[in-house]
Amino acid sequence: MKYFGLVFRNLSRNILRTLLTAFGTMILVFVVTLVWSVLAFLDQATQARSEKIKAVVTERWTIPSRMPYAYANLLKDGAAREAGEVKPIDYMSWTFYGGTTDAKGQDPTKFLFAIGMEPEKIPTMLDDLDQGSLSAADFALLMEGVEKLKKTRNGIILGKDRLNAQEKKIGDRIKITSVNYRGIDLEFEIVGTFPAGRYDSSAIYRIDYFNAAMEAYPQTHAGVAHPSAGRTLNLVWLMVPDSAAFNKVADQITRSPNFSNPSVKVETSSSSIAVFLEAYRDLLWGARWILSPSILLTLSLIISNAIAISVRERESEFAVMKVLGFRPNQLLVLVILEALIVGVTAGFISSGGTYFLVNKVAGGIPFPIAFFSKFLIPNGALWWGPVVGGLTALAGSLAPALSARSVKVANVFSKVNG
Amino acid sequence: MTQSAGTIQVRVRDVTKTFRRGSEQLKVLDQLSVDILEGQFLGLMGPSGSGKTTLLNLIAGLDTPDSGSIEVAGAEISKMSESELASWRTRNIGFVFQFYHLLPVLSAFDNVELPLLLLPMSAAQRRQQVLTALQIVGLEDRMLHRPGQLSGGQQQRVGIARAIVTDPAVIVADEPTGDLDAKSANEILDLLVELKSSLKKTILMVTHDPRAAQRTDSILFLDKGRLVTEMPAFSSK
Repeated sequence: MKYFGLVFRNLSRNILRTLLTAFGTMILVFVVTLVWSVLAFLDQATQARSEKIKAVVTERWTIPSRMPYAYANLLKDGAAREAGEVKPIDYMSWTFYGGTTDAKGQDPTKFLFAIGMEPEKIPTMLDDLDQGSLSAADFALLMEGVEKLKKTRNGIILGKDRLNAQEKKIGDRIKITSVNYRGIDLEFEIVGTFPAGRYDSSAIYRIDYFNAAMEAYPQTHAGVAHPSAGRTLNLVWLMVPDSAAFNKVADQITRSPNFSNPSVKVETSSSSIAVFLEAYRDLLWGARWILSPSILLTLSLIISNAIAISVRERESEFAVMKVLGFRPNQLLVLVILEALIVGVTAGFISSGGTYFLVNKVAGGIPFPIAFFSKFLIPNGALWWGPVVGGLTALAGSLAPALSARSVKVANVFSKVNG
Repeated sequence: MTQSAGTIQVRVRDVTKTFRRGSEQLKVLDQLSVDILEGQFLGLMGPSGSGKTTLLNLIAGLDTPDSGSIEVAGAEISKMSESELASWRTRNIGFVFQFYHLLPVLSAFDNVELPLLLLPMSAAQRRQQVLTALQIVGLEDRMLHRPGQLSGGQQQRVGIARAIVTDPAVIVADEPTGDLDAKSANEILDLLVELKSSLKKTILMVTHDPRAAQRTDSILFLDKGRLVTEMPAFSSK
């Protein structure tokens, strides 16, 4: 224990240097934690699952996908027609509706992008909104909104960030002037909100409300259908029990003559996300293989520089300790321990602080990519920090520690004594 | 080679040591032989480069000779490995430096305790030995002070306490009064003489100071790596 006491005393020798090294470590670990969190989240999203697979049906040749709403009824059964064919265990259908609540259209913060779907599918089909994923209080909050949405045709559930941007609260009304369905401007009643986190920027309304407005459009437009009529269904999600069922459902849908104009494709949500992320491939590759290693190398150099200066200052002390009988490896361990304490402690404070600040205070990292509006720091980040800090400290302290180990006693004294 | 009566504590036989300075080979010690008796206070004098500090380092086990043998307290140290020497040094040698070389981040107590951390002792045993050493040098009331809070003479006393805390056979002192004023230097020399008299320590002291040399039992004069002469010190005791 006295040996450790010597380590801590040496760190307090130059408090400013120790604190600056720790602070530099914390900043770089913070950046690494953010980058790895986004990468880990995307890796998980693109990783194929083996059970309870979500398949997504989209238009085959066009982006954005725009299918006839009539497809929804056929797709929810997985196009199963004959005995022995597989039906999905759950489904949801999406229609995207975007517009602004600013009548003049000049305030960008008033833009709202909402997903129309079946309200009863919110807790069963949307990720991380099921009862097992939320606390009791959060699930109750969600279901309160879902139940109201079921009873309120023009209801809408807004995430916390959307409520703030619109400067509204639950119970208020908003009117959206549409930009992707011009002429179909809808008024909504805010009936609920999402638990804080991933869905802070989301908005969900009832798909049948939009469909009714689309059907009513000719009544106010001289009997002329809306230009987008018959092309309002953007995505259909199907839940299947395993990959074998997915293959069967995909085959059923692909072979079905009901989906020929336009034709559709079926893929797992993870592979569809992977396809979507293809455009970001170079950016993500750079973040993973250039940015992260560069940060780790810089961190090692920072620690190496600080420890090397400290070792040079203490050359005669190390020589004295050798005279007193300390082994060279004991001096090596002393120096490495000093670096490790700074690296591990600063790393833990940084990643732990990042976890708390991002997840609990900020509610996630805003990073709109694919269908994800926010990224959360995974639980694993709690050990990333100490490990990154520790390993870079070890790497950075190795050369100075070897220098301390190899201090020549006789050489030092001949310099000192003349 | 010197001829003396009594138990020989340090025996140096035909020791040669050469250092390389760039492309030049410097023979610092040349076939040197010397005996030091147990309980003897021996001074080492000579011009710069005569090999005094090198002889001190060899006897203290800080370096090994190129040839010859060195025996200290019955142990043949000239053939020991670096690891064996480190272990041997902790128990058998106490070193007093010209510039004290106390660790500035440790208190006087912790500095004196430092060598004991390498020995299998309980914390209570270490504490007792440190207190005893500090009492011998008269600094038990300053044991919580850091070196920066002590005078030069007090720091050297702490250095001496550190040198004796392991109860070594031999104390080697490299110009222990070189950085002190006359009053402090006298106090340190008094302390060394006391250690020799009451604790029967064998002390080997390198010095340029004739007044310090006078406090020893005898003086070895070295020049160009060879023993020129040994003579009793002119003492006023």
